[in-house]
Amino acid sequence: MALGDLEREIMARLWAAAEPLTVRQVHEALSRDRDLAYTTVMTVLDRLAKKGVVVQQKADRAYRYAPAQTREEMTASVMLDALSATPDQDAALAYFVGQLPPDALAAAIEAARKK
Amino acid sequence: MTAFLLGALGLLLSLVVPGILARARWPDRAPAAAVLLWQAITLTGVLCALGVVLSAPEELTRTSGRPIATAALIGALLIAASIVLRLLWSLYGVSKRSRARREKHRTLVDLLDRAEQREELGVENLRVLQGALPLAYCVAGGQGRVVLSDGVLRILSRPEIDAVLAHEQTHLRHHHELVMESFTAFYRAVPRPLRSRAPLDAVHLLLEMVADDAASRVAGPAPLKAALERLTDAVPLTEDVAPDPKGDARRRRLTRLGSSHHRSVALDTVAAAAALGLLVLPTVILVVPWLHAALDEWPLR
Repeated sequence: MALGDLEREIMARLWAAAEPLTVRQVHEALSRDRDLAYTTVMTVLDRLAKKGVVVQQKADRAYRYAPAQTREEMTASVMLDALSATPDQDAALAYFVGQLPPDALAAAIEAARKK
Repeated sequence: MTAFLLGALGLLLSLVVPGILARARWPDRAPAAAVLLWQAITLTGVLCALGVVLSAPEELTRTSGRPIATAALIGALLIAASIVLRLLWSLYGVSKRSRARREKHRTLVDLLDRAEQREELGVENLRVLQGALPLAYCVAGGQGRVVLSDGVLRILSRPEIDAVLAHEQTHLRHHHELVMESFTAFYRAVPRPLRSRAPLDAVHLLLEMVADDAASRVAGPAPLKAALERLTDAVPLTEDVAPDPKGDARRRRLTRLGSSHHRSVALDTVAAAAALGLLVLPTVILVVPWLHAALDEWPLR
């Protein structure tokens, strides 16, 4: 399994969980239907923490991991980044229809979340 | 005389020609060649500026004494070098910032991807975001990603989705981001009072047209046109956003996808030839004779 897929699945587990999870809990959930090393899960969680999308908390001598933002919050911030025109037009992304002015943007994302 | 002619050509290319070309409508029929022409105009403009800087001091001091000529030559070389460095520095900055932004963005869309929906569409580098806001774009670099939101999948039919995908894949395959980065870098390197957004905006729209052409060859013009209409209606794009003051871009793209519009091979050829001529002719006609004369008098010999 590609590393990207594993990262995505681990994030999905963390988002679905009601509370921060330990490496063991994530490993147990994911290795039910496949062969997956404990250390792999630990490495990936560590990478996600380094990227800033997961936060590490120490409780009862064990590290627990939680998503830094909810899935909805992260989606909104990606969309915001995608749609906002940077002042210097850095040409980082190419759009099918164009970019939004900042005020319309917030409204559009808000409207989209309510639907 | 050389410096004067190069200066006149440079001013023409940087102050007069961009306005005319930005207002012209023929590039809609030959967008790829028009992009080439914009590149040639910009590059020749820079070469003219360098030519003026190098030839003017030499021409003015040719009859003066040796120390003055030498000082003029060194000054000229320094100014020319600083122009080149400023351009390269700007290009470095723009591509570094774009790359960082894209990398961060790629990480997040990879994590947020709704893989089930993506697998249904069977496109390897597609990422699907959850959210009703219709969104379609691509993130270049690495493998490149095409990003669609649920909203797009909900309001477009399968042929329309394929058309949008083909459009975005063209941006990625042809590395349009590099073209945009180079024009952005040039824009930022030009001192503020002389800057013009005209080339940047025109090239941006032309690249969209190039991608539209490729997509309509694969998926047909009708689904692409429908997708464009639906997405612009669904997203509350205000038409007075800076890059598109009159909502002109959308109208021009839609018109091109109508049945009466045809691409023109003749225009392609003429524009490409003009681009090549611009790059080569001034060098041959103006710079070579000057260089000949100047080297005979080379003060550092």
